[in-house]
Amino acid sequence: MDEREPVPITGTYAVSALGRGVDAQLDGVLRAAPAFRPVRRFDTTVRRVGVAATLPDVDTLPDELTEAVTAACAAAALTAAHRTGSAFFLATHGGPGTLPGPFRADRPIAVAPEAGRDERGPLPALAGHLARRCGLGGPTRVYTTACVSASTAVADAAALIRRGDRERVVVAAGYLVEPDQFALFDAGRALADDGAVRPFSAGRRGLLLGDGVAAVVLESAGAARRRGASPVAALHGWGRAGDAYHPCQPDPTGRGLARAVGAALRRAGLEPAAVGYVNANATGTGFGDAAEAAALRLALGEHAGRVPVSSTKSVHGHALEASGLLELVVTVQALRHGTLPVNAGWLGPDETCPLDVVTDAPRPAVGRYALSLNAAFGGANTALLVGAP
Amino acid sequence: MTGAADRALGTVPGGPGGPGGVRTSRVLAEARWPEPGDGSPPPLPGFVHSSFAPLVAAVAGRCLRRRTPPAGSRCAVVLVSAAGDRPSADHVRATVAAGGRIGPLFFFQSVPNSVAGHVAARWGLDGPVVCLSPTGNPRADAVAEAELLLHDGDADVALLVLVEHAPDGAPTGAVAVLLGEGTSP
Repeated sequence: MDEREPVPITGTYAVSALGRGVDAQLDGVLRAAPAFRPVRRFDTTVRRVGVAATLPDVDTLPDELTEAVTAACAAAALTAAHRTGSAFFLATHGGPGTLPGPFRADRPIAVAPEAGRDERGPLPALAGHLARRCGLGGPTRVYTTACVSASTAVADAAALIRRGDRERVVVAAGYLVEPDQFALFDAGRALADDGAVRPFSAGRRGLLLGDGVAAVVLESAGAARRRGASPVAALHGWGRAGDAYHPCQPDPTGRGLARAVGAALRRAGLEPAAVGYVNANATGTGFGDAAEAAALRLALGEHAGRVPVSSTKSVHGHALEASGLLELVVTVQALRHGTLPVNAGWLGPDETCPLDVVTDAPRPAVGRYALSLNAAFGGANTALLVGAP
Repeated sequence: MTGAADRALGTVPGGPGGPGGVRTSRVLAEARWPEPGDGSPPPLPGFVHSSFAPLVAAVAGRCLRRRTPPAGSRCAVVLVSAAGDRPSADHVRATVAAGGRIGPLFFFQSVPNSVAGHVAARWGLDGPVVCLSPTGNPRADAVAEAELLLHDGDADVALLVLVEHAPDGAPTGAVAVLLGEGTSP
C-alpha cells in the first residue's frame, strides 16, 4: 500500500570543486566565489574555452562514487543490515572515455589497475561493482538520461518507496570533467567563452563544466521512524515531463518543465506560494534560461516573480548526469541553514527572465520548501520539491 | 498490431489495487528493426556517423504507426541501451586523443536523450524521457521503469525502445513496445 507521507532523506554527501562534504558545498555556494579555473587535466589548446570547475585532487570516478555512497550511508547511520536491503540507483555517463581520474593537483597520475576490478567495463558492471563494494544488496538501476539522470533517479526512488517496493534506495551520481565531453560541449559552442556562468543574466554566454559526485539515502517514513533515523530533509514532491519539442532545444514556452513542477506540487499537496526557493537548472545559456523562466511563470503564476531563484551552477559548474543530485544536496543544505545561495556571474537583468534572482548576497530563507529543477537534451524535465522532514 | 498485442507483460506487487491487488501493463503494439525485408534504417537528418539514432527512430516509428497512443495521453519514452551510441563515442574519443576537433553534430547526438527527444517531438509524446543502461534483462528493466512511471502518474502510456548491440558496442537491431495500463483479473 502506498505511503502518502513525504519521503525522508536521511543521508547526503557531495564532492565538487567547492570541496568535499555537504558543509563545503554550502560554504562554497554562500561565498559565491565561482570555482572555475584553467583546466590542467588534459590539453585544451585546440578548444575555444579552457576552464572548468575541477577539484584538484580526486580519485577515479568509481572510487569517488564509493566514497560518496559510504559517506551518505554513514550520515544516515545505516547498519550493514540496512544497506543489504537497499536498492542502488546510479546516474552517470556511459561510454568508454568518461571514467577519468585519479588527479593530483589537477594532473592525471598513473595507477596500476587492481586485479578483479571491473569498474572500467560497461555501466551495469560498474553499478554492480559499486553496490558490492558498498554492501548494497538490493536491485540496481543505471540512468543515462543526460542532465536529468540523477534527478530522475531520485524521483524514481521516491516513487518506488511510496509504492512499497523498497524501504530504502541509495542514489549516487558522478561526473568528473574529462576530455571527451569537454570537447563535445566546446564543439557545440555551449561553453561560456568569457569564463563565467551567468544564469538568467544579461550577457550570459553559456555553461561551464564542473566536477560533481554525490549520494543520498531515501527511505520510507515508516522505516526511518522504526530505526530512529534523523532525516535531514524530506522529498515532498517530484515530477518528470517531456517537451515533445526538439532533440536538443528546450521548448521556449517552458510547458514541459512547468508540468514537472506542477506534478511535484500536486504530489506534495502544496500551492505555488508555498515554494520559498528555486535552485534553477539555469545553465547560463540564452534560450535555456529564458525557457526556464517561462516555465516558472506557467507553473507558479505571479509567485514566479516573487520567489527567490538562483542557479548554483554559476559557482560549481554543470556536473551533467550528476547535476541533479549535487544541486539537491546544495538545496537541502541551504534550507537547513536557512540561507539562500547567490546566483553568481550577474551582470544585470534580462527581460526574458523576469525572476527575483538572488544576486548580491545570500538571503535568509523564508519558506519551508524549495524546488530543485533540471532539464536535459531530449526535452526531459524534472522537478524535486524538498522541505523540512 | 502484432500478435503480441494486448499480452500482459509483467506484474507489480503492491500496486494501486491495494493489498492483494495486482497491476499489469499491456502491450499495445510492438515492432522490430530489422523485420523481414529491412535493410539499414533510413538516415535521420541531423544525426551522423552511426546507425544508433536512425535505428531508434525507425523502430519507434514502426511501432507507433501500428498503434498510436490514445489521444490526450502522456506517453513516456524509455530508451534502454547497454552501450549507447558507441560508434559515435568511439569516434569522439579517437579524435580527441589525436588532438583533433569534433564536428558540432556529435555534441547534439552525444547522449541517448537526443534521439529519444526526436521521437518525442516527431510523435508528440510529452511524458517523461528516461534512458537506462540495463542491469538485468533489458526488456524487464524497461517494463519495470515504464510501470513505475505509469503507477506514479507521470505517464499514461510508455514507448519502450530496446537497442541491441554487438560485442563491440555497434547497434545491431532494436525492439519498440508501446505499453499501456491494464489490470489482471
